[in-house]
Amino acid sequence: MGYEQLVNQNPLRVLNLGRHNKHLGLIMARAGLGKTALLVQIALDSILRGNRVIHISIGASIDKTKIWYDDILQIILQDGSVTNPHQLIDMVQQHRMIMTFKESAFSRPRLEERLNDLVLQDIFKPNCLVIDGFDFENAGREDLEDIKDLLDAMSMQAWFSAVSHRDDERVSPVGVPGPCHEIDDLFDTVVLLKPEKEMIQLDIIRNNGEDSAAGSGLILDPTTMMVKKN
Amino acid sequence: MNKDLTLVRNIGISAHIDSGKTTLTERILYYTDRIHAIHEVRGKDGVGATMDSMELEKERGITIQSAATYCNWKGTDINIIDTPGHVDFTVEVERALRVLDGAVLILCSVGGVQSQSITVDRQMTRYNVPRIAFINKCDRTGANPGRVVEQLRDKLNLNAVMIQMPIGLENDLEGMVDLVAMKAVYFDGDQGDTVRYEDIPDNLRDEAEGKREELLDAVSMFSDELMEAMLEEQEIPEEMVHEAIRRGTLALEFAPVMIGSAYKNKGVQPLLDAVQTYLPCPTDVENIALDLDNDEAEIKVSNNPDDPLVALAFKLEDGRYGQLTYVRTYQGMLKKGDFIFNTRTGKKVKVGRLVRMHSNEMEEIDEAGSGDIVALFGVDCASGDTFCDNTINWSMSSMHVPAPVISLAINPVDNKAQENMSKALNRFCKEDPTFKSFVDHETSETIISGMGELHLEVYIERMKREYNAEVEVGAPRVAYRETITQRADFDYTHKKQTGGSGQFGRVAGHMEPLEEGEYEFVDEIVGGSIPREYIPACDKGFQASMQKGVLTGAPITGVRCLINDGNSHSVDSSDMAFQQAAKGAFKQGYQKANPVIMEPIMKVAVEGPSEFQGAVMGSLNQRRGVIVGTCEEGSYTVVEAEMPLSEMFGYSTTLRSLTQGKAEFSMEFSTYKQVPKSVAEELIKEHEASKKNA
Repeated sequence: MGYEQLVNQNPLRVLNLGRHNKHLGLIMARAGLGKTALLVQIALDSILRGNRVIHISIGASIDKTKIWYDDILQIILQDGSVTNPHQLIDMVQQHRMIMTFKESAFSRPRLEERLNDLVLQDIFKPNCLVIDGFDFENAGREDLEDIKDLLDAMSMQAWFSAVSHRDDERVSPVGVPGPCHEIDDLFDTVVLLKPEKEMIQLDIIRNNGEDSAAGSGLILDPTTMMVKKN
Repeated sequence: MNKDLTLVRNIGISAHIDSGKTTLTERILYYTDRIHAIHEVRGKDGVGATMDSMELEKERGITIQSAATYCNWKGTDINIIDTPGHVDFTVEVERALRVLDGAVLILCSVGGVQSQSITVDRQMTRYNVPRIAFINKCDRTGANPGRVVEQLRDKLNLNAVMIQMPIGLENDLEGMVDLVAMKAVYFDGDQGDTVRYEDIPDNLRDEAEGKREELLDAVSMFSDELMEAMLEEQEIPEEMVHEAIRRGTLALEFAPVMIGSAYKNKGVQPLLDAVQTYLPCPTDVENIALDLDNDEAEIKVSNNPDDPLVALAFKLEDGRYGQLTYVRTYQGMLKKGDFIFNTRTGKKVKVGRLVRMHSNEMEEIDEAGSGDIVALFGVDCASGDTFCDNTINWSMSSMHVPAPVISLAINPVDNKAQENMSKALNRFCKEDPTFKSFVDHETSETIISGMGELHLEVYIERMKREYNAEVEVGAPRVAYRETITQRADFDYTHKKQTGGSGQFGRVAGHMEPLEEGEYEFVDEIVGGSIPREYIPACDKGFQASMQKGVLTGAPITGVRCLINDGNSHSVDSSDMAFQQAAKGAFKQGYQKANPVIMEPIMKVAVEGPSEFQGAVMGSLNQRRGVIVGTCEEGSYTVVEAEMPLSEMFGYSTTLRSLTQGKAEFSMEFSTYKQVPKSVAEELIKEHEASKKNA
């Protein structure tokens, strides 16, 4: 592929993204702190490893989602270490697919049908899903377990984003805030974004099934929304 | 005609195909007393809608040319440009938008914001055209204006808010509630001629109050008085709301949404009122001209009828009475008998007949004021030319014209057809800047090129019908290009000694890929190793080489040629010799610069019921497409993909059979991309075979 360098430089490597197939991750933050940006960076990291990614946007448009990728790619390309930018842009396009759903239209059967459309016809075989905008507030544990089963069966890695609220005081024993405080055990990795002075702190609450102490983590540059080294 | 410019509206009506533009225009003309009977687009009475004046349009039920027409509504002059809805004709739409001050964007209440509406809306944004949205076909089964408004916000990023609310929907559509006046509006009579205002039915009152609240919230941003009145909970005068809506609309920050059903004669008169109230008059809009005498400096046109004339020819038509030129005046007066200057050619022309168009009927007038849209007879010009009087030399900024992506060979069947064909081609090229024709000297075939299959098909049909030119049509060909991917040096000496004076020239330097632009020539010769007078010859030689690539004979683009060394001979060097040397140098460098073939990639959007999504994606995938994404909207899905144009021939047939005719697709040019190796090899082989046969 020729992008190992980019992958190895990526501070996200502490999350061991490349390792597991049946892996469920969760990114939580209050609105506007960079959940989508982080999801896109995870997706790009996966693409650079040669994987195929489906980006599921619930309640957003294809164009808006595409712009996220274009912007973040632009930042990656800025430092000039990639010799053939067009090739990288093309590769991202070929390894990424965007699916958008209306809030009300997203469900396991729908998702399964869509994925089967792609996989059975050999159009696009994703290794990783990123799911932005899933409604944790109104979804029950069964709904999520259902989706987890599907992803397990298709042996895919998946990352969800969830919005927490300032006045929501619910929290799980390990520190996962509501609305995910009761289902956090379903996720292998949980990451929390918090504003910290001028930066955004990226707390890894659980990393590949192992709970880690708060404060261990990375920094997100709020101007570019790119993950920085600690 | 009104002299007062505040009583003039130049508006366009544009939208997705089949959302009922022509039907709506027909109703507008009827209610403004321009026509006395309503004909339907695919009418049973065999007359066809008035705006669809070309036979072909009547037959296919689509509007191809944007006929301009004029009407008067409650004292306001309205010039309407009916624009084609199919994406292959977007240049027509764009040209129409250029001269418009405002527009009505029609949407189907069932189909909603479809891909073509997005294209058209993008164009409107480019030309800063304020718009009103009209959700048509509210009488159809499945009508859902609320969903359409949501799409206007999501997909078009418009701050769209309903200023009306339907009374009943689908079959029960009775009328609408005007949320500004807070009245129910009904339409009486066979043709809905009489508008009746009533109190809002009790069962709708609460909903209407809520919707009005939403509307006021949205428009209060544009009016401090309104904001104040709301805060102090005063009675809000209707005028104040109108003013706020108008301000928001003109600033392109608000889009009032109206509803109705043109076919059922509902909602048309309120739409006309809204055009009058909310859309800009010519003086509300800033139009910029370029001063050709002053290095194309930008100048704002004044709209003042007493200033020197500036008028733009935006459309040509070959009618029964010779060439008809549609012009829009931006300032000054256009008078019968006056002499005007075409600033592109510098030619002086006399204004013979001046007419106001009503589709294909016309009305003679003596003069046209600034801001008006009229037509001239017998004026020789091309579309996009600017006319001024002899005191100024301005040009209205040039229009964005995309390069053609597809071409076909045509051969006239006999001599008579040959003559007619050249007449027709000459005309079409003038009318439509995206349509081009030329003769391929190697095959002596006539090649026409344009924006898509349908685009060319329509012209071939027109040739047959209007010019009686029967032609044989070859298979469509994609406009490939070649480019280089790496830097390469060249050093070439052209030497010929054939008795008499010889030819000698040496050119050295390098070529490299050019990121933006087609061609660049850099001269870094120092010390006169190539004499100054021969440098243009080198440039010329390179440019000549770019016309035909080595791989497939397609034109080469994106090359920077730099020369930094050379040699000349005091006797044997000549312009010709250096041109030849440059050609040789180019050829030498080109082969080392790793040349590749590029093909046009189209942005394709297929819309259809979700159950066919899998099949649609499969079909796109088979055609070397890259699926960008899918978008689920209830039972409808849109699949967006980037497709090579060469794979899209005949796709409409495939799509129809795959989806029982329930899906449709739109396509627009996106970019050029390198073709995959296997395809490139095929193309090169084909090119070699055709060279052998020639």
